Parts: sequence; C-alpha cells; structure tokens
Amino acid sequence: MRYMFEMKNQFARTMYEVGQVNPKLVVVVGDLCHWAMQPFAKACPGRYYNTGVTEAATIGLGAGLSAVGLIPVVHLIAPFMVERSFEFIKLDFSYNEFPGNLVSAGSSFDYSFLGATHHTYTDYATLKTLPKTQLIYPAAPQEFDLLFRQTYNNDFLTYFRLPQTEHGVSIDKNKIKVGTGIKIKDGEDITIVATGSQLKSAVESAETLKKMDYDPEIIYIHTLKPLDTKLITSSAEKTKKIITMEEHSIIGGLYADVLEAVKEIPGVKVSPIAIPADFLRGYGGYEDHCKALGLTAEGIVKKVKTDFRRKK
Amino acid sequence: MNKEIRKKIIDMVYKAGDGHIPSGLCIVEILNVLYRDILKYDPKNPKWEGRDYFILSKGHGSDGFYVILEKYGFLTQKDLDTFTKYDSKLGGLADRTKVPGVEAAGGSLGHGFPVSLGMSLGLRIQGKSNRVFVLIGDAECNEGAVWETVLLAAHHRLGRLYCIVDDNKSSSQILEMGSISEKFRAFGWNAYDVDGHNEEALLDVFKKLPNEAYGKPTAIIAHTIKGKGAKMLEGHGVWHSKAPNTEEYAQIMEQLED
Repeated sequence: MRYMFEMKNQFARTMYEVGQVNPKLVVVVGDLCHWAMQPFAKACPGRYYNTGVTEAATIGLGAGLSAVGLIPVVHLIAPFMVERSFEFIKLDFSYNEFPGNLVSAGSSFDYSFLGATHHTYTDYATLKTLPKTQLIYPAAPQEFDLLFRQTYNNDFLTYFRLPQTEHGVSIDKNKIKVGTGIKIKDGEDITIVATGSQLKSAVESAETLKKMDYDPEIIYIHTLKPLDTKLITSSAEKTKKIITMEEHSIIGGLYADVLEAVKEIPGVKVSPIAIPADFLRGYGGYEDHCKALGLTAEGIVKKVKTDFRRKK
Repeated sequence: MNKEIRKKIIDMVYKAGDGHIPSGLCIVEILNVLYRDILKYDPKNPKWEGRDYFILSKGHGSDGFYVILEKYGFLTQKDLDTFTKYDSKLGGLADRTKVPGVEAAGGSLGHGFPVSLGMSLGLRIQGKSNRVFVLIGDAECNEGAVWETVLLAAHHRLGRLYCIVDDNKSSSQILEMGSISEKFRAFGWNAYDVDGHNEEALLDVFKKLPNEAYGKPTAIIAHTIKGKGAKMLEGHGVWHSKAPNTEEYAQIMEQLED
C-alpha cells in the first residue's frame, strides 16, 4: 500500500499538535512537506522554516537552534540529509553534544523510478556509528506519532526514517515503545526479524511457511538503535534459525546487528534479505525493487528453502 | 599591535610543540577588541543567558582564541600551559564540551558559520536580543556551506548575525576570491572592509554595527596579515603548522619587539 501522503500528513499533524504544547519545537524542512506544514506554520508562528536545497547548512542551522535551547526537527530527503550532510550531523550535532531530531523521507529505494542518485541504503549503518544517537524506523503513521512524542525532547540526536510504504499490520499502541521490539507472532522453529515496511512480507509469509510445516516467530523492530537484543536473543535461543528483513544495505544494517547480538549463542544461523553492497540500477516502482531483491513473502519462503532446508 | 598577547601565543605553542601560530596571530586585534569592548559575557558564568555568542569557525586560530579567553577570565595560565597535551582541555581545535566560552567546534571549515546562523535564528525566535558573532577565514569561504549560510541569513533577515572574515589572503594562494565584501553584498548583506590589525578602526566598525532583530546581516571583512607580528612568520609558508625550536623561539620573540 502506497501511503506517502498519509505519512507526510501524520508528520505534519504530529508537529502541529506537539508544537502547540511545546513552544520550543522548531521545524525546518528542505523544500519537503511544505504545504502540509502550513497548519503548523500558522499555529506556531516563527517556528517553521523552509530552507530550500541547502542541506548541509540546514543541519548546522538545526544544531544552532539546539545550542540556544530550542528543539529542532529537521526534515530532509534521506540521501541529502545523511550522506551529503553527514559531517555536519557528526560535528555540529554529535561532537558538540547538541540534541535534536532528524526526520528523513525518501530513504532506501523509495524514489525507485529516479534511480540511485535519490537512494540511500546505508543511512542506518552510517548514523549508528555516532554516539548518543537513536534510530527509529516507524512504518505506520501511528508509530511515528507515538515514538516521536516519547523521545523528541530527550538528550539524544534521534533519526526518524519515514518510509513511503506502511507495513499494514495492526499493532496495539501500548506495545509501541522506543527501544522495544514487538513480537508479532509466537513461533517455534524459525525467527523472522523484520524492520520497516518489510513486516508486511514477514506476516504474509507465515501461511505458506505453515504449509511447509514451519512455525515462524515474527519480531518487528521499529527502533534500530537502541536495538532490543534481548527479544532477539531469546527467540534465537529457541529457534536457532533467523531471517532478517530490511530495506537497507546488507552492510551495517539489521543483519549485522542481529549477527552481533546472537554471536554467543551456539548453533544459530542468521540469513539476510537485504540490499546488496551495490547501486540499484533498476527503475520502476517500489514493488519492482522489492521483488528483485527478495523483499517479499515469496522471498522469505525461498530463503527458507535454500538456507534452512530440513534434512530428510 | 598587541605584543603581549602575541608573546603569550608563541610561548604556548613553543611549550606545547604544536599549534598554528600564524592563524592565531592574525586575529589578535579582532578578538581583543571584541572581548574588551563589544561582547557581553560573564567569564564566571560562561553560559549566562544574556551573553553575546562568539564562534571561532576558522578553528585553527585557537591559540589566539585561548590566549584571549585567558586574558578575559575564562581560562588560566595553568590551562594555557597544558595546550595540546593528552588530557588538556585545550586542543589544537577547541572542543565546546571542554572549554568555557567556546560555543561550538570549529576548524573543520564551514561548520561554525551555519551553527551560528541557527543560534541567531533561535535567539530571535525566543524574542531575545543576544548578538551572534562568527569569525571565518577567507579560505573558509571556498566552502559551499558558507554560501548556503550567507543565502539563508539574508533571506531570513538575521539582523543580529555578524560574520567577521579574517581575510589573510590564504585563499588567494590557491583560489582567487576577489572582493569578499562585494560577494556578501550581492547576497543581501551589509559588508564593511576594515584593517584587521587596527584596533581603532575595528572598534569604529564594531560600534556602528546595526542591531535589529530583522534586518540585513552584517559582514566585516578584516584585512589581515597571516602571522602578523614577527617577520619570519608572516605569509603562507612553512610556519602554518610549525612550532618553533629554541633558537627560532628566541628569534620570534626578538622580532616581536622590533
């Protein structure tokens, strides 16, 4: 389900509501979401800025807002926020120890038809290296709203990666807490750890896997840092078999962190479905890329057959 | 020319065996006038809410900055004596989490200026009248982020943001910048040229700075000589990041007296 406008509207709605409660909230966008932000601009005069295409300086500007006691929310297109402006995030926010909020849209291959200039597959891998950062990947409007409210005003630099496609799985809002993974389904013999929109593929795969006599446990991760390693390791101890699902590079992403988390547990095998360390040179739509990369329910089934085939 | 401040800079770098003497020497008068006559601050309470903000974006002038911070009460001579030692609070480039009076890291060029932009905007959002001064270098003006910042500050009419450019002609060794003041004016800033070693001229410019919440931001292009004070240090040669040996130290001190 494409829901670009729903997530954009939720971002704007959350800013509108939180901004009226907290007079320190300032929103800076890089020519993104401008029209949706107009109610905030009207309700919170002087606290909304569109800085056009000046990404590096916009990050520095956000850090400066934080330096004088405000709570910046900087909203930019993901590759230009993280990869173009990384040193500004690193020094202006992190090294200076200024907290704030970075909210990206258009991560991974969301801008599928534009090609790799507008992709970023390594935003999580890059940002997790910085101290005092939190990385949150809410793949439903409600999740963004809840997680933002829980964490926007703390001492961390928090990155929210807003995807264009929602996972479509209903989750009890009381279970949505920063740093806490969610067990979507109990299972016995294989664990699927999914982040972002790929929760949908994980849930869809369960029926086919059941027919293959597998009972998958499904874990949903919306907070990549701090990662809920306890939930992952407890499942790994039971099933010994893990598939990770992510719209992120195979390098430095969820797969790498799950491997790290389970390294002390004997006999655990972790198998990734992720983006290879290469540019995606295809175009088309979001679903075309998912299909090509195996980021689908069918991709999970295929992975089970190839990597976790039972001995007869 | 401030001989005593310069001697202290040389002394500090000589003892440390590390530093960027010429980058510090060329900003001595700028900093001295700012801290003596212009900026509001409380060295006993560096985070005082009523302070003006100063950001050394051209962070390689840190040796000059530290000596000024010591002169005006933020640091002690004991602090200066530890310059660049492993556990010192004073590194070759200032760390704002360690040094009182330092608002943001500089030295990776093109960073302090956009941060100062956010500070100035943020202060105005809160209805505060604090002024924000940032010191950048002419070579730093090679950086794209500088011109992004210039564009944004003019667009948002940040009348209490002041960008001092230490124009010591470093860039023209490599890239000819032409008139920096004309460039700032073309982006919608006020811009004044001044002799960066003439304290009276600097004071005159600083005292007449516009001070309105909404208005053109102002650039002060301070024309300076890199390494000003000792002939052997002046210019753009090996002394950029060289600490003097004992013999050179004596020669520099002698030339400072000339």
